[in-house]
Amino acid sequence: IMSGSKPDILWSPHHPDHYVICDSELGLYRIGPVGSSETKAGTLPLSEETAATLLAINSDTPYMKCVAWYPKHEPECLLAVGQANGRVVLTSLGQSHNSTCKELVGKEFVPKHARQCNTLAWNPVDSNLLAAGLDKHRADFSVLIWDISSKFSSEASVASEKIRLSSVDLDSSSVVTKPLYELGQNDACLSLCWLLRDPKLLLAGMHRNLAIFDLRNTSQKTFVNTKAIQGVTVDPHFPDRVASFFEGQVAIWDLRKFEKPVLTLTEQPKPLTKVAWCPTRNGLLATLTRDSNIIRLYDMQHTPTPIGDETEPTIIERSVQPCESQIGSFAWHPSSQNRMVVVSAANRVMTDFTVFERISLAWSSTTSLMWACGRHLYDCVEDGAEGVESVIEKDIATKMRQRAQSRYGHDTVQVWRNHLLAGGNDPQLKSLWYDLFYILLSHMKQCAEDMELKLQGNKQSVVYSGIKNIVKTSSGTKESRRCWNGSDRQTDLPRYDSEERCLALRLCGWMSRGPDIGVEVFLRSLEQDREWERAAAVALFNLDIRRAIQILNKGATAEKGDLNLNVVAMALSGYTDEKSSLWREMCSSLRLQLKNPYLCVMFAFLTSEPGAYDGVLYESSVAVRDRVAFACMFLSDAQLPRYMDKLTNEMKEAGNLEGILLTGLSKDGVDLMESHVDRTGDVQTASFCMLKGSPGEVLKDPRVQCWIENYRNLLDAWRFWHKRAEFDIYRGKLDPSSKPLAQVFVSCNFCGKSISYSCSAMPHQGRGFSQYGVSGSPTKSKVTSCPGCRKPLPRCALCLMNMGTPVSNCPGTGKSDEKVDLTRENKLAQFNNWFTWCHNCRHGGHAGHMLSWFRDHTECPVSACTCKCMQLDTTGNLVPSDSS
Amino acid sequence: VKQLMELHILEHSLKVASIEKEGIQICTHGLIKLAFLASKTRCKFFSLTETPEDYTIIVDEEGFKELPQSEHISVADATWLALNVVSGGGNASNSQPIGVTKIAKSVIAPLADHNISVFMLSTYQTDFILVRERDLPMVMHTLSSEFTLLRVVNGETFAAHDLGVTNGFVKPKLVPRPIIHPLSSPSNMFCVTSLDPDTLPSVATLLMDVMFYSGGPKESGASSEDSSHIRFFSFSLIEGYISLVMDEQTTQRFPNNVLFTSASGELWKMVRIGGQPLGFDECGIVAQISEPLATADIPAYYISTFKFDHALVPEENIQSVIGALRTKSTAQ
Repeated sequence: IMSGSKPDILWSPHHPDHYVICDSELGLYRIGPVGSSETKAGTLPLSEETAATLLAINSDTPYMKCVAWYPKHEPECLLAVGQANGRVVLTSLGQSHNSTCKELVGKEFVPKHARQCNTLAWNPVDSNLLAAGLDKHRADFSVLIWDISSKFSSEASVASEKIRLSSVDLDSSSVVTKPLYELGQNDACLSLCWLLRDPKLLLAGMHRNLAIFDLRNTSQKTFVNTKAIQGVTVDPHFPDRVASFFEGQVAIWDLRKFEKPVLTLTEQPKPLTKVAWCPTRNGLLATLTRDSNIIRLYDMQHTPTPIGDETEPTIIERSVQPCESQIGSFAWHPSSQNRMVVVSAANRVMTDFTVFERISLAWSSTTSLMWACGRHLYDCVEDGAEGVESVIEKDIATKMRQRAQSRYGHDTVQVWRNHLLAGGNDPQLKSLWYDLFYILLSHMKQCAEDMELKLQGNKQSVVYSGIKNIVKTSSGTKESRRCWNGSDRQTDLPRYDSEERCLALRLCGWMSRGPDIGVEVFLRSLEQDREWERAAAVALFNLDIRRAIQILNKGATAEKGDLNLNVVAMALSGYTDEKSSLWREMCSSLRLQLKNPYLCVMFAFLTSEPGAYDGVLYESSVAVRDRVAFACMFLSDAQLPRYMDKLTNEMKEAGNLEGILLTGLSKDGVDLMESHVDRTGDVQTASFCMLKGSPGEVLKDPRVQCWIENYRNLLDAWRFWHKRAEFDIYRGKLDPSSKPLAQVFVSCNFCGKSISYSCSAMPHQGRGFSQYGVSGSPTKSKVTSCPGCRKPLPRCALCLMNMGTPVSNCPGTGKSDEKVDLTRENKLAQFNNWFTWCHNCRHGGHAGHMLSWFRDHTECPVSACTCKCMQLDTTGNLVPSDSS
Repeated sequence: VKQLMELHILEHSLKVASIEKEGIQICTHGLIKLAFLASKTRCKFFSLTETPEDYTIIVDEEGFKELPQSEHISVADATWLALNVVSGGGNASNSQPIGVTKIAKSVIAPLADHNISVFMLSTYQTDFILVRERDLPMVMHTLSSEFTLLRVVNGETFAAHDLGVTNGFVKPKLVPRPIIHPLSSPSNMFCVTSLDPDTLPSVATLLMDVMFYSGGPKESGASSEDSSHIRFFSFSLIEGYISLVMDEQTTQRFPNNVLFTSASGELWKMVRIGGQPLGFDECGIVAQISEPLATADIPAYYISTFKFDHALVPEENIQSVIGALRTKSTAQ
């Protein structure tokens, strides 16, 4: 009569579709696909695909405390049952006809003193050995190893052992009372497992320690005091790794370093009931706690060999929920990947469950994407109608690579040209680089002006802060009503003007400073670029209808011109400000049919009520810079900031680089760029753009540093090492804080000083000498000697010359020699002349000589040295892919 | 290298109390909770022994809170610590004597030589040697040469270091130990047994009957037949393990297969020590009994109660035990 006994599951060691559930009785089940011919009525569904059939029930063994399945093929369904009184009974399920089983079934192994049998473990190699772990008795052992093949107790031993078998033992001939081994005197054994590394070793969780018994010498044991003594189980993939637990905590042990757990897993609030290594997956441990409907998984996949010092391996922890109800027990399938059967705590509800493998994803630095799941590796290829080639072309990684090769970002003079280096076909990049160009231009001009006015400008950074912020500070705005150019007709259009608005127009590129103040320069450049409609619109917004008509005419008559532009010009020339005119009515409705957005906004402008220019301001096909310039001219101080904020937010949300005009290189700009990088992954543009920012402001933003570091990593991954060096130099110029301090020095063998460091010490010494009237040559040491002690530097192993490299320009060198020396120094400073040496054998020489030596040799050039220097250099065999 | 046995100093702080028979009803609530509803208390060490004189309770501080204050309860004024001998790394051979006999020479005698009073509690699983907490430095000093001393803290064992106090320790006087208290041997035979904690609820009412209603008319009638028959019953629940000592007749009242019986079905007879209550200060009583038993290689259980001590020896050895002890006795 077992009340509330905890169910457990055992998979057959050899039949992949058989398992046993044990609670108050033993039930043998076969698992199979749902609805297959084999399954009959009365099968229990375990999952959507599988169902179980009950094959046999065995209720011969009451007081079951633990069960273990015989590990060998034959007899195939032999189970050992440990009982509450410490007896171990061999039994079987559904094998009545099997004769091999017969003589073993019913055999009992009885300890001298009754107490609970806590655990059973068959020896995996010598399958006659069955270890039983029992509770404590003051005069008995707690680990008994039975030999199931042993003959029954002889009469003699019965007498000597004073056996008085109780009346329950009807067939006393099947009772064995003499264990093969008795271990753990006056102790309790809570859990057992045989070690895979040697079948003579038995690991036991004793009362307060884990003990390893060696059957070859039972008087000795290895043990460690710990509380984690329950559920000892050895990792099938790593025979030195063992898990055990105590209450809510799992300890992982390495038997080679048994003094303490190599790690303990996070403690669970409820006591653990089962811990099991996945037999099909390396390093995966499943744990179950009481009253829980989840199974917690610990993936120790990337555990480094725990021999090293206190390195805590990384563990990925996650939970799975195989079923709704509380779980009584679970068991991994012995061969089916990551599969387990789970039995509920009540009513024996079973679930067939496969733990879905974690997916790990990796982007390459080029275009490919791969992921791994279980034992599969997937290569992601995007197949579209345009074919693989164009998809790769469109990939940002391909683009950034090509742009890096075309020196994108490095044009620091004609900054706008960088968009051409990027391919010249991305309107956002075009806008961005023009924005940066105008910002830098305005900045330079402002600096020049400030210099003239001898102003110590703190104003200088205002151009970086973006038009949105510039116009916010606008004060002293003048409102004017101007005439149409070339006509004396007064318009009733109010136009606004202020210093800040003027700066904004310059940043938009509409106005230039200097002799040609006004819009004409811009118009001419637009004409040159054959942007007729845009030019006409800009002319119109500057209240010059005639110029607009003239531009349209020019466009119509130009080579490959659009004759329709003449029609538009005609329509334009009919402009009247009469509110109820036919012209106005027709234009305001027909303009929407115009395909070109600039032509469309021209008529929108002419037909709008003053101050209500939504038709222009919200025409998204019109470039942001043109709309912003328009707004700066025609919106009042009240309307303008509102429009700017709205447009800025729109740009930030979309990650549209045209918005940099509004945000400038401010925190707002970084926000916008962040949204752009999130959408495109273009860290290259982000890095170059932010490096142009006013030093020390945006560059401090961790996001910006992240883009820059990622871009550098990308260059490294592409093996664009020269490009990366170039970028670092460029970055160092714009962001001096990024320059790393020298951390490695070449020191002299004799004086131990750095041969480059002493250069800075030179002037002092020189001055010292000059005091005594000695100057020039004595202080100037040869490059082949240490500048500190002037002893010769080591010789090259190949040319046998003393090495030497002028590491930096020494300020101590005499001026007269400068010209002669420069050429020589430049020559010496080339890479071929650099010092290089092997860190292993410490031989070396000129880099050029060494490179050519190792092209044909594997061993060190120094005779009798067999060091394979070049092979030791892991990066030495890599070739930069951007070398010319 | 000689592998030392381990002596574990357990973490329980124990109280020893005596409940008068007529006061038992005011304590039953707490006692039932301690014995049968362990999960409702934080008590880890509980022992109840009924003798004709009283009930002796050994209980840790958590469990002690369950008992009421009453004039029917007397509490020994010391706090006691339990010691437990574990075979440790070595693996003793089969023939070694068990229980108190095993530790008589290594623990009990040396403690007696150093005038340390001990209180013994043998159970089915092991033997606990209770010493006064204040005697611990002396105990450790005395036993450190024979044992690896380990202290249990929060369930884990740690090496316990000899406190290094040697000054002021009295040199042991190695004198012969005659038996000074009168001995008696009741006629009934006893079983030392245990049961699966899972089956405890099924026999709880029976156990309550045995524990608290033994003085009823049914049993007193039986005892009058045989004047040397003794009323003795012990129940302990220590760290989750149940141990029971009861006479053979009482075992008959239990259903089959509930009580753990040893394969050899041993029965034990009792030697009761003391004519007057022994008190807690006298040393060497356990040693007086256990040393001759060890010499004769006779296994034994030893249970101290508030007033008297009780040794259990195999029934077939009782005559030789009585004989051996009587020759040493000064009381005769």
